[in-house]
Amino acid sequence: MAYDRKLIRNFCIIAHIDHGKSTLADRMLELTDTVALRDMEAQLLDTMDIERERGITIKSSPVRMFYTHADGKRYMFNLIDTPGHVDFTYEVSRSLAACEGAVLVVDATQGIEAQTLANVYLALDNALEIVPVVNKIDLPSADPERTIHEIEDVIGFPAEDAPRISAKLGTNVADVLARVVELVPPPGGDRSAPLRALIFDSIYDNYKGVLCYVRIKEGSVRAGTRIRSMATGAEFDVTEVGVFMPQLRVTDSLEAGEVGYVAASIKTVSETKVGDTLTDVANPAREPLPGYKHINPMVFCGIYPADGADYENLKEALEKLALNDASLSYEPETSQALGFGFRCGFLGLLHMEIIQERLEREFDLDLVTTAPSVIYKVVRSNGAELSIDNPSNLPPAAEIDYMEEPMVNANVMTPSEYVGTIMELCQSRRGVFIDMKYIEEGRVNLRYELPLNEIIYDFFDQLKSKSRGYASFDYELKEYVRSDLVKLDFLLNGDLCDALSTIVHRDKAYAKGRAVAEKLQEVIPRQQFEIPIQAAIGGKIIARETVRAVRKDVLAKCYGGDITRKKKLLEKQKEGKKRMRQVGTVALPSEAFMSVLRIN
Amino acid sequence: MPGIYIHIPFCMAKCRYCDFASFADHADTEAYLAALETEMALCREALPQRLYDTVFLGGGTPSVLPEGAVSRVLEALTRKFRVTPDAEITLEANPGTLAADKLFEYRSAGVNRLSLGLQSANDRLLKKLGRIHTYAQFLESFRLARETGFDNVSADIMYGLPGQTPEDHLDTIEKLASLGPEHISAYSLILEENTPLYTDVTGGAQSLPDEDAAYEMHRQGIALLEARGYRRYEISNFARPGCESRHNLNYWNNGEYLGLGLNAHSALRIGEKWTRWSNTARLSDYIQACGSGERPFAGEPQAIPLAEEMFETVMLGLRKTEGVSDAAFRARFGRRMGEVFPKAIERLEKKGWLAEADGFFRLTAEGLDFQNLALLEMM
Repeated sequence: MAYDRKLIRNFCIIAHIDHGKSTLADRMLELTDTVALRDMEAQLLDTMDIERERGITIKSSPVRMFYTHADGKRYMFNLIDTPGHVDFTYEVSRSLAACEGAVLVVDATQGIEAQTLANVYLALDNALEIVPVVNKIDLPSADPERTIHEIEDVIGFPAEDAPRISAKLGTNVADVLARVVELVPPPGGDRSAPLRALIFDSIYDNYKGVLCYVRIKEGSVRAGTRIRSMATGAEFDVTEVGVFMPQLRVTDSLEAGEVGYVAASIKTVSETKVGDTLTDVANPAREPLPGYKHINPMVFCGIYPADGADYENLKEALEKLALNDASLSYEPETSQALGFGFRCGFLGLLHMEIIQERLEREFDLDLVTTAPSVIYKVVRSNGAELSIDNPSNLPPAAEIDYMEEPMVNANVMTPSEYVGTIMELCQSRRGVFIDMKYIEEGRVNLRYELPLNEIIYDFFDQLKSKSRGYASFDYELKEYVRSDLVKLDFLLNGDLCDALSTIVHRDKAYAKGRAVAEKLQEVIPRQQFEIPIQAAIGGKIIARETVRAVRKDVLAKCYGGDITRKKKLLEKQKEGKKRMRQVGTVALPSEAFMSVLRIN
Repeated sequence: MPGIYIHIPFCMAKCRYCDFASFADHADTEAYLAALETEMALCREALPQRLYDTVFLGGGTPSVLPEGAVSRVLEALTRKFRVTPDAEITLEANPGTLAADKLFEYRSAGVNRLSLGLQSANDRLLKKLGRIHTYAQFLESFRLARETGFDNVSADIMYGLPGQTPEDHLDTIEKLASLGPEHISAYSLILEENTPLYTDVTGGAQSLPDEDAAYEMHRQGIALLEARGYRRYEISNFARPGCESRHNLNYWNNGEYLGLGLNAHSALRIGEKWTRWSNTARLSDYIQACGSGERPFAGEPQAIPLAEEMFETVMLGLRKTEGVSDAAFRARFGRRMGEVFPKAIERLEKKGWLAEADGFFRLTAEGLDFQNLALLEMM
């Protein structure tokens, strides 16, 4: 028996990192008795350790709750948690498309941030009803009235009635539930029309295969339905449908307006991409739901096991992660310096860091990663076009007519006192100023056009440190433009070390070459011979440093017979030696490869 | 024959480079000495009776103990353990803590070798290290030692000190050699984490000589010591012929020793098993364990597998300039060293780091400088 559609509310929560989204979700689960208090673990929806630690959501996890309103009726709430980072903008937009409303959480001590605004615009694009909420009123520095004015000024909708809450303490959270009932419209959609189900996420389950998280827009689906992906044409037999309580609970069917999961013995999440529409093979819809995009990775780097013997383990780990992450791409590559590894593609920097961290933590791997790269377009002298995401694959300069690099439009929101330093930062990253607008007194939105390759490593960290954590940042890919790019190489004792090569703008090549050479001189341990380090563009040496030969390496004394300590030191040295990479005659520690990144 | 090490964890002040178990607070001295005697009794019961031929009172600074304490410790020791009449009995002492009375006491208690901590003849450097004494006080201590009849005196010096030049180091050696101690230990300073000096250096308040300058001190220091009649018999140790430290040679021969006191280490063959253990490094734990009649272990004694025992023998033996005796190796393990480490020996000989002669495998002068790397080949 399908639930009365008028009593369904599908909504998500939009908030900046740390503004309290997950905490609010936890309180809602408690208030609706969805999760017994004793089962509560802080931030229940963020199931990965990394999510909890970083306070961000990577995978969206939906949950169904039942709420009895003041009108005496029992409402079904489907809360769809959304990823909270610019890397996952597309995923966010699909999650939003599964909802009719969005609870906008703004921290009363911080105000609106760049990323919040970006997500609010996405929500408005999807015609969602916005339910503003001002959080953290328990903090001494909270200024709820000012925050409400800011919401009204910046976003331009009334927020006077916004609940002032403390998600942490539970204060006024019940008001939020009431507002959801009152403001968010019930879902529409014809239950007898052909099936159209929007996939807004998917997850790999060891027993059931891929679970597609879906919002049924029209029609219905049940076990036994033969479904088709309208993006790929692949067909599957549905083995099970169900909902999130938040544990999986099997149901007879999912009807238009509802949110749930579909299992159909699907082997990898890449077969059921986010944004795809599922339809019924027996009674297919004519058109897919709008908005599907094939998402391509924007940032690439080489990932290698620190110990070459771990190659197979790394491969298995990547396979496992990819089961759950359709946007992670990887293919084998070989480096002379690093041996066998993988070229991996990511949606953005955070995505890259998360994958690296998960590989190291969940799979206990020691990794060496090369400097991240964007995709460059290369036009050869003969007119042929190439896309390059690995500097090693760049043709010789003589065969290149010109190159193009991707540019982004960036929004930086910051208190006005940091405008000067942030503009300096953007200029130093070859940024082109577009405009600056006051959001309110004391806060501005700076717009810059920036080359993607200038922001893929530490731009965000720099921005945070230069603004004492106050500035926020959001970007979107704009276009490719012609650029004077060169390949910067490093030679160690005369041998090219491919894993250190990067593509940089010519104006920055000299400074970067010098800085990296100096850093390498610091991190390469002295060996039994002198090691010249050279930075080169094409055949031309632009910087040189030298690692002097080591003179002695001996333990000074064995005191009082404490030889276990000496043995441990030797074992550590042996372990370190094993992890060194041989480039020609030179042994390189893992840090050497990171030194290309840690420059500034 | 096995040796005995006794740790005295008290100092006048903690040197800035020191990370050994030692304390400037002497409030627990009496409790510690009582615990030490208890530990002797516990070891006497637990271990088979052996004959020991060296005793080393180290620290810390044993010479800071109040009068009578060293006699008491050695008396307790000889009541519990058999020590040969001609045993080498060494006591570590620091200038600034010695007076004639104490030295007479040590002599009559059986101490026949003094190890004096000089470190440098340069007062400016001594101060930087946080040493409590001046060079003049060292001269006074040395004179007193000779006057009270110590005919076997060693002095420790260090190089690679903050602000030190090769000339400083050579000057220290020259001055020391002119006094004519029987034995000199010359150690390169090791910057240990969790020491004030480490903080000084990493924070930029002090800077160490660069590797090349430190190497010059090492190289020229060895040459000068040898020129003054001190034969290098171990990586950092030099002696007039016949005056080598028997206690320390026993370590380098991977011999047996019993360590008593805080954080003391032991290696003994128990039954058939080569066994190592160490005592806790926490003073309160040590005193409490002994007080309740328990051995103050830091962890369970470890039986060392044969392969490791062989490696230890090489690791320690190759510190000596005479090297590892193949006959001794075979007597201990039933196999020749060349059979156990054939590839490593071949590679090291090729590099010119190792040579075999007169039944010994020994590191060359260059090999001694790269002993760690040589050992890695054997691991």
